[in-house]
Amino acid sequence: MASEQAFLQMKKRVQALPGQLLRVGDVADILAEGKEAFEGIPVARFGKTEGNMAVVELMEVLQVIREKEPALDIHTIGPPQTLVEFKTPEPVPRWFALAGVWALLFVGSGLAIMNFHTDVSMEQVHQRIYYLVTGAYNDRPLILQIPYSLGIGLGMVLFFNHVFKRKLNDEPSPLELEVFLYQENIDQYVIDHEKSQKRRGPRVPFG
Amino acid sequence: MSLLDSFLLAFIGLAGGVAVGSGFVAFLTVLDIVPRLTAMTRTRKRVPWYETALVMGALLFTLADFRGWIFSLLPVATGFIGLLCGTFVGFLTGALTEVVNVLPILAKRIRMESRIFWLLMAMVLGKVAGSLFQWLIF
Repeated sequence: MASEQAFLQMKKRVQALPGQLLRVGDVADILAEGKEAFEGIPVARFGKTEGNMAVVELMEVLQVIREKEPALDIHTIGPPQTLVEFKTPEPVPRWFALAGVWALLFVGSGLAIMNFHTDVSMEQVHQRIYYLVTGAYNDRPLILQIPYSLGIGLGMVLFFNHVFKRKLNDEPSPLELEVFLYQENIDQYVIDHEKSQKRRGPRVPFG
Repeated sequence: MSLLDSFLLAFIGLAGGVAVGSGFVAFLTVLDIVPRLTAMTRTRKRVPWYETALVMGALLFTLADFRGWIFSLLPVATGFIGLLCGTFVGFLTGALTEVVNVLPILAKRIRMESRIFWLLMAMVLGKVAGSLFQWLIF
């Protein structure tokens, strides 16, 4: 009998509980006849010593499948590994932490904008603009400064695309893009780091 | 003042202007301000207009400032200018925050990726409040 064909694609990123037994079906998508038989094969189990990220290599998956089904002709597509992220319970009461960080950013931003205004002599510039536009001196040109202050908020919100997000376009906001790229970089680092690092001893056995 | 002095001064002025002008444009380019605005308004083909606006604005304000041109408009007009100035500064601060990647790293560290919008709003409101405080009370 000619060897059966199977197509295998490693998932990019999966979530697991610490100590959970990962089976082939958890880390890869398979297209083959009777694929349920392969999906149940155990691949790896990571203990708590592995940290909160681990990598399952394509070769490990191929190895366990071949042990069970040596004649199977496997074609692989996609990334050569799957990143496993372990869900751990959140350590801090989140609302408390959020409030703390919120206050920190709020006060810090306020201080930073005041520093900036002092740095560039913004008040003198406002007085000068007021004089050039109206021809009269005004020490505290509030009619200019209050719209200016509101404009700062407007500009930031516009920049981060929260107002016109749904109406005008569906491209990601710069912040969403940054979060995505940051996560991608971390994932790539973990993958490369795990590869270069020699496995210290055998993993926690199956069972 | 001799002719040589005049030439020297004009040269210094021109050189300084070139340095400041190219620096200003480079700064705006690094921060991707114009691409953001064109993406938002879907006017990618109109970028040359925006370039002209930046150059003309810089030129007009420099001339008005140095030559002391007075426009004799109503004070309300300064409110409109102030709003535009503030929006531009908001763009600058937003872009700077983004370039240095503060929020993604902070949100990841404290594991609040899902609440990043509120962290952003803290910064936005903090800037507005800080600015108002400085003009009204400080």
